Amino acid sequence: MKTKLSLLSAALLGASLMVMPVVSQAAIPLAVGGQELPSLAPMLEKTTPAVVAVAVSGTHVSKQRLPDAFRYFFGPNAPREQVQERPFKGLGSGVIIDADKGYIVTNNHVIDGADEILIGLHDGREIEAKLIGADAESDIALLQIKAKNLVALKRADSDELRVGDFAVAIGNPFGLGQTVTSGIVSAMGRSGLGIEMLENFIQTDAAINSGNSGGALVNLNGELIGINTAIVAPGGGNVGIGFAIPANMVNNLVEQIIEHGEVRRGVLGVSGRDLDKALAEGFGLETQHGGFVNEVMPDSAADKAGIKAGDIIISVNDKPIKSFQELRAKVATMGAGAKVKLGLIRDGDKETVTAILGEANQSSETAAGAVHPMLAGATLENVKRGVEITEIAQGSPAAASGLLKGDIIVGINRTRIDDLKALKAELKDVSGVVALKILRDGNSLYLVLR
Amino acid sequence: MTLKDTAIYIGKAVFFGLIMAGVFLILTPLLTGQDSNGNLFQSRGKQGIELSFSHAVRRAAPAVVNIYSLSIDQNQPLNSGALQGLGSGVIMSKAGYILTNYHVIKKADEIVVALQDGRKFTSEVVGSDPVTDLAVLKIEGDSLPIVPINLEIPAQVGDVVLAIGNPYNLGQTITQGIISATGRNGLSSRYLDFLQTDAAINAGNSGGALIDTSGQLIGINTAAFQVGGEGGGHGINFAIPIKLAHSIMGKLIKDGRVIRGALGITGEPINPVMAQILNLPDLTGVLITDIDRQGPAAFAKLRPSDVITKFNDEVVPGVEMLMDRIAETPPGTKVTMTIIRNGQYFDVPVTIGESI
Repeated sequence: MKTKLSLLSAALLGASLMVMPVVSQAAIPLAVGGQELPSLAPMLEKTTPAVVAVAVSGTHVSKQRLPDAFRYFFGPNAPREQVQERPFKGLGSGVIIDADKGYIVTNNHVIDGADEILIGLHDGREIEAKLIGADAESDIALLQIKAKNLVALKRADSDELRVGDFAVAIGNPFGLGQTVTSGIVSAMGRSGLGIEMLENFIQTDAAINSGNSGGALVNLNGELIGINTAIVAPGGGNVGIGFAIPANMVNNLVEQIIEHGEVRRGVLGVSGRDLDKALAEGFGLETQHGGFVNEVMPDSAADKAGIKAGDIIISVNDKPIKSFQELRAKVATMGAGAKVKLGLIRDGDKETVTAILGEANQSSETAAGAVHPMLAGATLENVKRGVEITEIAQGSPAAASGLLKGDIIVGINRTRIDDLKALKAELKDVSGVVALKILRDGNSLYLVLR
Repeated sequence: MTLKDTAIYIGKAVFFGLIMAGVFLILTPLLTGQDSNGNLFQSRGKQGIELSFSHAVRRAAPAVVNIYSLSIDQNQPLNSGALQGLGSGVIMSKAGYILTNYHVIKKADEIVVALQDGRKFTSEVVGSDPVTDLAVLKIEGDSLPIVPINLEIPAQVGDVVLAIGNPYNLGQTITQGIISATGRNGLSSRYLDFLQTDAAINAGNSGGALIDTSGQLIGINTAAFQVGGEGGGHGINFAIPIKLAHSIMGKLIKDGRVIRGALGITGEPINPVMAQILNLPDLTGVLITDIDRQGPAAFAKLRPSDVITKFNDEVVPGVEMLMDRIAETPPGTKVTMTIIRNGQYFDVPVTIGESI
């Protein structure tokens, strides 16, 4: 009798203890990581002090050519160009990535042309910052402040992100003061937008607006996953489509800026295109994502590593890549001299090669915006008789000038151009109108860049 | 029984109880195969505190396609193939049926469907329904990805949802929000009856999927109905509930169009004042305010200020139910309306016409 009773009571006690957590769970429908209420506040208390406001001031110098139609009114002696100087002020955001040294990452377009950069810390301090270095093509700049008691953000491995992961944007939209917005990762490896020369964005629906630029995109652990940079805004404001530069790309760029004061772009020396289903089927491949190598430049890093035309590059440092543009953005931001492990598919077999990246100015491929502003949006490459336009972004200045993919630049004004080096040298000294002599489908013609 | 015995007795019970509770606690999650957060979030990472919808995205996203509609200008046939419309669609079955918005393919001479794996198909329109802004396309392909759908559990206000589509032709994009208001599934539903969500939906998202957090389709997004016109960002977007979309799809595949019955009346719900004036027993029924002169109601000699109380002996509680019943009835069917006129009940036979 006693045993039975004790067994019964034991079972009852056991059952009641078992039911307890179930009941408490039913009362609270969402429990995140053992916390009773899902709130980002505990994570944000630690992370928001690392995001700063960036206030810049400077002077814009713009030259305006007098339209020929108006020359009649001003007489033949009127100056051809009017130089305007306009003071400007700008607002953006920044992220402290090293508390001891006071390093702050922001967007290049936030601080571009600024004479003075003022950092507003979360605790109210205002400190002037020094520009350590910037990279226009990837839109990253590194600043430094001298201050104590700073809080830095840890950086997450942004290659581990998946579409659907939560993302939180922290910044200073419209100069309102620090603002936190939440959303998810909408897409990864977004490129071909024509916003920057090198694109490999994280897309998010967390609200990003003017002034958020340079601010942080963090995960639920409060680690930096990206630097908020741009939005698609048909009406001027947020529509749930924002872009951030991934933390891994930021890491590579920042390391180079700290070391050299500038970004020494790494170059692999291949040209190619995205692998798609049709191409994959043509080659009898199982994979459908990657970069297809059309051509390998002689003596380039790729050539030395043994990469051949027809190879499909499927991973960079063991991380799969989706498109050729993603490969380009990743490699270009890694820095000259970096060792890169590349996963390949050749004749249906998987192989791995290690390439040591060359330096950009010695190589034959370059983004043209750095050569001349009117060529922005084109990718240039040395060929036998001159410099070929291998890619051109829709709506870019280069496309507006009338350049087409496949055009070969053979001369500037009256000077013959053999390679990129000559093109760069010639354009450096030329001011005003430039006449490009190009070869198109075997015919030569002149295009005028204004 | 001594005090000591009692203490031992209680001690034993507590001891065994704790062991059994421990065993239960360890076994329960193993048996049900769920973590404590249920289906809503997927735990990830060492600490298990990183949460993500990536599981739901992986289930549904491959079946959401990009749709490009091209128009061919008859005057300039050489300059043809200009992109006329951009949208999204959802592959519903292995046979290749795709649900999308009617306005995406409205003016298309040629429709190109692009899958996420890079495959492209030209597609035929199986049928379209401008009233609900739905269209069904068909492609022929092997091993097409299809979306899991949820017809049983209706979406509720507050449910977390994900929108999948191709806004501004950027490429596939996932946005997140909640159900802000729920809709009706009746055949006479208009867009204000649809699901409302604050997940970002923009031009190009039209025809794409609205899914729940387990990856099941609950609606077809439609950017055509936006508050404030072009460019969303107001957090007020609409989706066609899947139950309605699914039934429309069945009708479009069967007939190529949606045949709706029509009565040719304008009706409104009965308010207490009208009930008193017309001497009605209660507020159920539909008050006829206007009659289409050429319509079936006029033919059956129905008049304004008649009150319809029953449709084929089924009590009519309000306007929406009556409109649904009429829309569902095949044109040419004879039905009996019970009406109140001047305080008296009449049964009136009516032949349902077709809605144009």
